[in-house]
Amino acid sequence: MATVAITALSKLYDGGGELAVKDLSLTVADGEFMVLLGPSGCGKSSVLRMIAGLEPITSGTVAIDGKVVNEVPAKDRDIAMVFQSYALYPHMDVFNNLAFGLRRRGIAASEIERRVQGAAAKLGLLPFLKRKPHALSGGQRQRVALGRAIVREPKVFLFDEPLSNLDAALRVSTRNELIRQQRELGITAIYVTHDQIEAMTMGHRICIMSKGEVVQIGKPLEVYRNPANTFVARFLGNPPMNLIPVTIQGDARSHQLRFGGTSLAARCWPAERLSRLDGKALLGIRPEDVYEASPRSGDERLVAITGASVVAVEPLGAETLVVLSLPGVSEEVIVRSGRESKLRPGEHATIQLDLGAAHLFDQATTEVIARIDVKREAGWPRTA
Amino acid sequence: MTNFGPFWRTARQSPPPSALDARRASRTTLIVLLGPALVIYAAFMIYPVLRTFWNSVHVIKPHNVEAFVGLANFKELLGNDFIFWKAVGNTAIFAIVATIADVLGGLLLALALFSGAPFVRTLRLIWFTPVLMSYVVVGVIWVWIYDYDWGLANVILRSLGLGSLEQSWLGDPRTALWSVMVTHIWKWLGFNMIIFLAALYALPGDVLGAAELDNCGWFAKLVHIIIPMLRPTIVNLTVLSFIGKMMIFDLVWIMTGGGPLWSTETVSTYVYKRAFDWNTFDLGYPSAIAVLWFLIILAFIVALTRLLRQRDRLEF
Amino acid sequence: MIAPAAKSPAHNWAAHLRRSPLLAFMLIYTVISGGPFLWVAVMSLRTTPEIFASPYALPSRVHWEKFVEAWTKSNYGTYFWNSTIVVVTAVALLTIIGAMVAHCLARYRFRGNRLVRFVILSGLILPPQLMILSLFQILLEYRLYNTLTGLIIVYVAGHLAITVYILEGFFAQIPQDLFDAARLDGYSDLEIFWRITLPIGVPALFTTVTLNFIILWNEFLYAVVLLTEDDKRTLPLGIMHFMGSHQLDVGMLATGLMIAIGPVILLYALFSETMIKGMTAGAVR
Ligand SMILES: Nc1ncnc2c1ncn2[C@@H]1O[C@H](COP(=O)(O)OP(=O)(O)OP(=O)(O)O)[C@@H](O)[C@H]1O
Ligand SMILES: [Mg+2]
Repeated sequence: MATVAITALSKLYDGGGELAVKDLSLTVADGEFMVLLGPSGCGKSSVLRMIAGLEPITSGTVAIDGKVVNEVPAKDRDIAMVFQSYALYPHMDVFNNLAFGLRRRGIAASEIERRVQGAAAKLGLLPFLKRKPHALSGGQRQRVALGRAIVREPKVFLFDEPLSNLDAALRVSTRNELIRQQRELGITAIYVTHDQIEAMTMGHRICIMSKGEVVQIGKPLEVYRNPANTFVARFLGNPPMNLIPVTIQGDARSHQLRFGGTSLAARCWPAERLSRLDGKALLGIRPEDVYEASPRSGDERLVAITGASVVAVEPLGAETLVVLSLPGVSEEVIVRSGRESKLRPGEHATIQLDLGAAHLFDQATTEVIARIDVKREAGWPRTA
Repeated sequence: MTNFGPFWRTARQSPPPSALDARRASRTTLIVLLGPALVIYAAFMIYPVLRTFWNSVHVIKPHNVEAFVGLANFKELLGNDFIFWKAVGNTAIFAIVATIADVLGGLLLALALFSGAPFVRTLRLIWFTPVLMSYVVVGVIWVWIYDYDWGLANVILRSLGLGSLEQSWLGDPRTALWSVMVTHIWKWLGFNMIIFLAALYALPGDVLGAAELDNCGWFAKLVHIIIPMLRPTIVNLTVLSFIGKMMIFDLVWIMTGGGPLWSTETVSTYVYKRAFDWNTFDLGYPSAIAVLWFLIILAFIVALTRLLRQRDRLEF
Repeated sequence: MIAPAAKSPAHNWAAHLRRSPLLAFMLIYTVISGGPFLWVAVMSLRTTPEIFASPYALPSRVHWEKFVEAWTKSNYGTYFWNSTIVVVTAVALLTIIGAMVAHCLARYRFRGNRLVRFVILSGLILPPQLMILSLFQILLEYRLYNTLTGLIIVYVAGHLAITVYILEGFFAQIPQDLFDAARLDGYSDLEIFWRITLPIGVPALFTTVTLNFIILWNEFLYAVVLLTEDDKRTLPLGIMHFMGSHQLDVGMLATGLMIAIGPVILLYALFSETMIKGMTAGAVR
């Protein structure tokens, strides 16, 4: 068990003009499950491989338990890694795949036997110990890969998109299995994925990356509720957060947000910050915070917008997504509605935005504009 | 497909080594893994090649008698040596005719199997057997087949009542080269057939199916679809066999030894004779022949790969 | 398929008729390609007088004892063992040395990578004629002329290029993840070569083994230049020598041919697909 501290880590590949990882700092606590989340090509694997010692570090440091390991070869770092391709040795049976990593570490044969049997029992692999990887299903292979990491009892687990080759149902069950194992063993884990559901459900904390840089680190729900910029806002959540370009008007004391024919009082954001915005901003609102009907009419936070035209209705079973076009707004707005929606494409509808859950972003820097707590002074009613 | 692109171009850019890299090996590892190969290569490939080049501008007699003669060997070779020119002519005829026959014949055989004939697997195995036999075995068998008195060739002619056509196939300067060539083609047809067959099976089925829907007859399909799509294979096999035949030695040496009257002399047999059979005891002159011929083959390889690289990037 | 698929019985019959020239052609070629071999096999069991009496008859009595005679009196036993020693040793060395080089070229980046690759693979286009004369001199100087050792080393040098070429293509396809995993599992480079690359590369190794075996078993040019003593001769040389000295003993020569073809045919019967793959590996990639 160990802490992993990454400081100002950068990576420049030979021949690649741009930094694949830029000045990245991150601390993972003992026993913590940290998820690195980001779109394809943002440098997640590069970070993981540098931690593992498979890729030279261009600058910065990686420290395990306070000791800088930049120059320690991979085999001496006591790290186990699960690869996206599983990287099972095709010529060895499951038992030997699990035992291979123990044989070089001066562990007695009886102990190897005990650990392999233990891990195989935990993962339900006992019936397959004599099989070669090609005779296993995808899910079984995945469990062998996981078992290979577990038997090592390493200081740190690294996972590089280990579930991305599984089908949807298997992904859910394996995800739960993996969480259970990690919590049980209490081994520090760093998990790379570009799947936000994995990130939300698995990590103690998630670290969102973009173009080699850290964008935001925090607990999953915190990050979801308080995205640091439009990138995080759109990356987390499916469908992504609606971003409506607005113009800001007003004096030093009170401002109005305007889009289309609508004008809203921008009381939740500090006025002097708004005056610095050049008159332009992005209003972010998640699909679940837009209502198709008027469930809580009279609520002061809800702003009704009339004349929205329905572009498409997508019933998904548990919910229905309604795509709307607001008058005078170029971006379409997605509404997460109930099981059934009465709206039909081509119709006009009235929707309500929950301003209490809205975010305002600086259009130039894409950074969020911090909210101020105006509930008490405005006397808004509490919501559950 | 045959990879005739210059092999050194496939090399990855090698970056400067850095401390920790999954793709870096320690110096010891490299020495252990590459050492034996490089030592053997240096001593038994590179050194001999360089020494042959050196030899080619010297006269090399037994007991370390060596004298520098400049380009005299080459001058003699190009100017005065009518046997050399005879050998060049024979080799050229051999390389051109046998290559064409090999490629066309191989294609024909492959198409025959591909057309859905019965027993494809068995026939394929039988047709390939000559490829596995050594030139010595093939040579001896065909020397018998060409035997004047009891050889199969004349026996068949006589039994067909064509006794007037009987020949001393390998003994007559007019027929010897062609007879050896037939044997050579017989040995290699199966090889070309297998490669063409693999290429045919790799053709995308839907293209052939589409042609069928377009109501293509089999001949039209062959000319308009199959042959154009096989073009890379055809070109590659042509290059491969041509270059192989430019160096032909074994079969000629075994069947005729270059005779009669130099009618089957090839460049390689002539090199061997000048080095070991003639009483000139000079290794310099045959080395000059070998060097000159290598340069010509190299020129062919470079020219043909150029040609290949510019064309033949067929996308399916 | 080129011929239209048969649909009804009548159609079927017509199709067969239309295809009969094709079938006849295939039958004839089968006789042409396989016939000579059968003929030698038959002759190997007949005595020379019998053969001269009727060259194309079947054996009236099967003379198995000719093989014993060829093996002991005509020195084919010696030739056979010489061939076996040379070929088995050379193939073993080629496989292991070639795999080591191929592993390095496929796996590692190192200074001189391109140079090593160029030097080794240049062997693909160097004709043996270019080396043979000076190899004769060099082996004399190294005191390896007229020794099996000398021939083995020359064979290894001469066939390393094609071996590396085939193996590297295969090794490069082994996913890098496997090597990374083994590294994290604590294995050194040499152990990884031994425990990962070699076992996974078995199919490719098998291909190069068959390819090298056939080519070297049949090799003639190097052998004829570098070996002269009778008790050093390999099978191709032995047969040539026998043909030179006993040209009229057709029966015994045929028996010798069968001894030379034997191992190849035996392996072909067992591993025909692998051998075909091996023989064509250099051309199809
Ligand atoms: N060996 C390499 N040489 C050069 N550039 C590389 C190398 N490996 C990765 N890169 C580049 O570095 C950047 C980050 O790659 P990385 O594999 O870390 O992304 P990733 O976030 O893991 O993506 P994915 O989700 O697709 O796996 C990419 O732009 C990639 O092209
Ligand atoms: Mg990745």
